[in-house]
Amino acid sequence: MAANDIQVVVEGSDLPRRLKDKLYETLDAKGIDDVETATDVKEAVEERYLDTRVDPLDPVGTVSAQSIGEPGTQMTMNTFHYAGVAEIDVTQGLPRLIELVDARKTPDTPMMTVHVDPEFVQERLDAENDDGYTERDVAHEIVWQIEATRILALGDVSTNVADMLVRIDLNEETLDERWPTVGTTAEVTAEIAETIESKLDVSTVEPDDATIEFGPEEPSYRGLLQLVEELREIVFKGIDDVSRVVIRKEQTEDPDTDDEEFVLYTEGSAFGKVLDIDGVDASRTTCNNIHEIYRQLGVEAARETIINETMNTLEEQGLGDVNIRHLMLVADMMTNPGTIESIGRHGISGNKDSVLARAAFEVTVNHLLDAAIHGEVDDLDGVTENVIVGKPIKLGTGDVTLRMGSRPDTESESAD
Amino acid sequence: MARQDHNRYEKARIIGARALQVSYGAPVLVDSEQTEPILVAAEEYDAGALPFTVIRGQQ
Repeated sequence: MAANDIQVVVEGSDLPRRLKDKLYETLDAKGIDDVETATDVKEAVEERYLDTRVDPLDPVGTVSAQSIGEPGTQMTMNTFHYAGVAEIDVTQGLPRLIELVDARKTPDTPMMTVHVDPEFVQERLDAENDDGYTERDVAHEIVWQIEATRILALGDVSTNVADMLVRIDLNEETLDERWPTVGTTAEVTAEIAETIESKLDVSTVEPDDATIEFGPEEPSYRGLLQLVEELREIVFKGIDDVSRVVIRKEQTEDPDTDDEEFVLYTEGSAFGKVLDIDGVDASRTTCNNIHEIYRQLGVEAARETIINETMNTLEEQGLGDVNIRHLMLVADMMTNPGTIESIGRHGISGNKDSVLARAAFEVTVNHLLDAAIHGEVDDLDGVTENVIVGKPIKLGTGDVTLRMGSRPDTESESAD
Repeated sequence: MARQDHNRYEKARIIGARALQVSYGAPVLVDSEQTEPILVAAEEYDAGALPFTVIRGQQ
């Protein structure tokens, strides 16, 4: 009964969901169950919440710009090299922040965090039903479906100029490791040979289980070397763009248990392809390329990624006290049209409606000239334009309209 | 007739406008020790004596 009353009190407040939940939590922890005290607490929280909200007419954009800009000056100009998770080289600091805000098509160091679906792991374990087969093996199976396998990883390539042959001595252990679900070495070798035949348009012979030989159709020294060049490029297994995968065993997100699970970190990214792989938990797998996220999951996910990536970049530099709302505003501005737009000449600043605002940003003469040629009209709606022409700006006290009289609908003369 | 709540910009704008009137010799609406127009205006504001309405678009 009392719990129900408290619920009525809390739900009836003007608080956002997060604060309501926190209120429940606190009331519970303090053992408050009478309605009167709960109402007092609720009112105090509500008052504090309403007080801390941003006032209308606040220049939030300017405040955000300064709140990110100032800590930005303290960031190291160039930090990278193995500072991130699991020995993978990740761009950090200012270069990464610039990259995000510029909305680059591909980041300097694309990376994915791939989670393994626990249900899939269980299914595989049940299917194999073997004591020697563990969770780690399941993770490895997924790893080799992601990491690109090229010929140099599989064995030695040698050329025999006398017989005009390229000879590949495959390493049986490596084959076993990378094709864990295929039965025998011979089968894997056959598969590889087939790939070579289709990609290089040659016919191959397999002198034994782990050796492949082939040569150019016409005996030619150049042809032979060319074949070796092309052979190196072939991806036999995995995704082209992913050059390396690192496995880490980590605590699951569930804080109540000590369970651990395998998480894969990739160097290079191909988010769409990875999501299609069996056993990849699509709901937790992420990527640091906002455009790939946008393509696969849509703008809202892209917005979320921008927020997370910028926040993480700042946190890694010890600038975690930047309020996340500033980054949310930036992300909102970047994704507001429904697509990702960069901040800067080619994005938000360059697409403003006002000629004067654009001219004030960059390449002044071009903008003014084009505007003159096309007969553009400036409505003087924004801040920059009004600063330029010397009118009060529509922010803060500049946007308060006063009338004499106590009611808004009372007709009376202006105050000034 | 409920009194309007003002945010800090509205308050500043009202006190500013009123201070201008006072400096031009408008009769002061409260008893005040102050001589500076802006401080007089602030006292008037606090006393709720100022007949200004803020027009806030649709309301």
